[in-house]
Amino acid sequence: MTTDLGFWTLQALNALQLSMLLFLLSVGLTVIFGLMHFVNLAHGALYALGAYFAASVAAVWGYWAAFLLAPVAVAGVGVLLYSGFIQRMRKSGPMAQVLVTFGLIFVLLDMTRIIWGDLPLAIEVPAMLGGRLAFLGVEYPTYRLFIIVLGLVVLAGLAFVLGRTQIGAMIRAGVDNDEMAACLGINVERLFFCVFCVGCALAGLAGAVAAPLLSVSPDMGLQILIPTLIVIVIGGLGSLKGAVAGSLIYGFVQTFGAVLAPQLSSVLIYALLAAVLVIKPVGLFPAKG
Amino acid sequence: MFHHTPLRYAALVLLASGALFQAFTAQYFGLEILTEILILAMLVLALDMVAGFGGMVSLCHGALMGVGAYGYAVLSTTAGLTPPVAMAAAVGITAGISWVIGAICSRSHGIYFIMATLAFGQMAYSYVFEAPIFGGDDGLGGIERLDLSAVGIDLNDTRTFALFCLVALAAIYGLAVMVLRSGLGRSFSGVMHNEQRMRALGLTVWRVKADVFGLSGMIAGFAGVLAAQHIMYISPGLMAWTVSGEALVVVILGGLGTLVGPLVGAAVFVVLKHELSSLTTYWHLIVGVILIGVVMSRANGIFGFIEDYFAARSKAAVATPKATEVTKDA
Repeated sequence: MTTDLGFWTLQALNALQLSMLLFLLSVGLTVIFGLMHFVNLAHGALYALGAYFAASVAAVWGYWAAFLLAPVAVAGVGVLLYSGFIQRMRKSGPMAQVLVTFGLIFVLLDMTRIIWGDLPLAIEVPAMLGGRLAFLGVEYPTYRLFIIVLGLVVLAGLAFVLGRTQIGAMIRAGVDNDEMAACLGINVERLFFCVFCVGCALAGLAGAVAAPLLSVSPDMGLQILIPTLIVIVIGGLGSLKGAVAGSLIYGFVQTFGAVLAPQLSSVLIYALLAAVLVIKPVGLFPAKG
Repeated sequence: MFHHTPLRYAALVLLASGALFQAFTAQYFGLEILTEILILAMLVLALDMVAGFGGMVSLCHGALMGVGAYGYAVLSTTAGLTPPVAMAAAVGITAGISWVIGAICSRSHGIYFIMATLAFGQMAYSYVFEAPIFGGDDGLGGIERLDLSAVGIDLNDTRTFALFCLVALAAIYGLAVMVLRSGLGRSFSGVMHNEQRMRALGLTVWRVKADVFGLSGMIAGFAGVLAAQHIMYISPGLMAWTVSGEALVVVILGGLGTLVGPLVGAAVFVVLKHELSSLTTYWHLIVGVILIGVVMSRANGIFGFIEDYFAARSKAAVATPKATEVTKDA
């Protein structure tokens, strides 16, 4: 089987699809950290909320409404979190932030259980994206190809905004040295707030996109949290390049590890993370040297 | 450096007498809860040693406890060692592993340290979850308790086992205090306050961190051995990162860096968990709200709050215990 080219293509597509899903989640988290030095463990819970919103909306108005509304709704929750907790925790150390957001995980997890119940929900793949597509000599589910394309579009969009526009330059300046940026007349606080909302919206989008693939259950946020953290720590906190590199590394190591060395696969990614941290304690592409 | 204040002595006496009273009067269920508190107290004591006195906020202590539990289970059942030998070996293995983790992670700080320890903990968790010799996700059963019938003690009795854990906890508390007061412990606190200065004084910083982390892991491993003996069955769930997260929550609820506080935290946490889960299945929600409230109030946990209150009332020149610690160290 390992000599068949189709097999490698299929696994590479699987890896890419996982990478793109993780990219949507980790890019928000990493930029929030880079800009605000804020560790938001509740990011995974926002992803779960996105999936739940999507499931509820899809049941009434169909998938595409859910696809558009879930990110908006999660960004709304992000606004509440920001004004309620995060603004006040900005100046505290990483330890306090980790703990407050750990508490938020508990709270959000049980809130989803109270509102939507303990049973997993399922949502249908939209008719337009159902079925399979012949691609590079293999049959691949159209919906998974859609996730890959969506991830690439978001990546291109963010790369353009961060690299070529004025607001992107302001964000990069803020990540580099927030005090200096503030001295130059950039309203860093407002910038933080916008970036935080965009990060939350992306988490919601990831949830909405992942919902048809996985069943929507209360602990899905907790399950995705560790992979997301691994991605941003391998990649280096705060940089787009790091989020891309980390997601690709995680997706490919996880997928090919599971196929080629099943007995080692689960340990492999953690061993890789440990190795990266030993060799480069701040990750591969940190925003600051 | 750690030192006892009258308030801390009072709290210890109160806790010890409460535990003793419970151990002699409670029925089966009460004794089970007491034992659970005592084992959790050992784990959080180990965590407070490194997190509160050296700034090493570890998210792998749950997994280290699991290493001790699994080490004991495998050595005493599959390998057929006698319980005392298996206990010593399991504790030794855990200490060794945590020394290595401490040495590797000693260069990382802040969030990177948290992540690195999380990675090691998860590595152990996923290995155990899949490895057949550890029973995989089925866990391991048939674990025996230590046989002390030679001196007329039957640990299979719930009350006796609770008392045994209480004695063990007292001994471990003494050990932790001894370590923190030793030269090693003082250097460790020094490293937390100013790593560069300690290095300039000629200290090998990574060795100090690794040594204390190893000792702390040893205590966590011992807690794991007792946990395995307590329930007589272990599953990989013992090593999940949420266990480490909960241990950290207990340390924070009690009061970081006070050593007495985490003991208070352990008692409050376990009792709260049992009381709330009998009332509602959503007890995590309430624990989450309490946690957020405690952290955002900026008090150093329950015990820290009480200490602050008494410090503010007395006419001492220094207002907070934290300030005392810093000045005494300088």
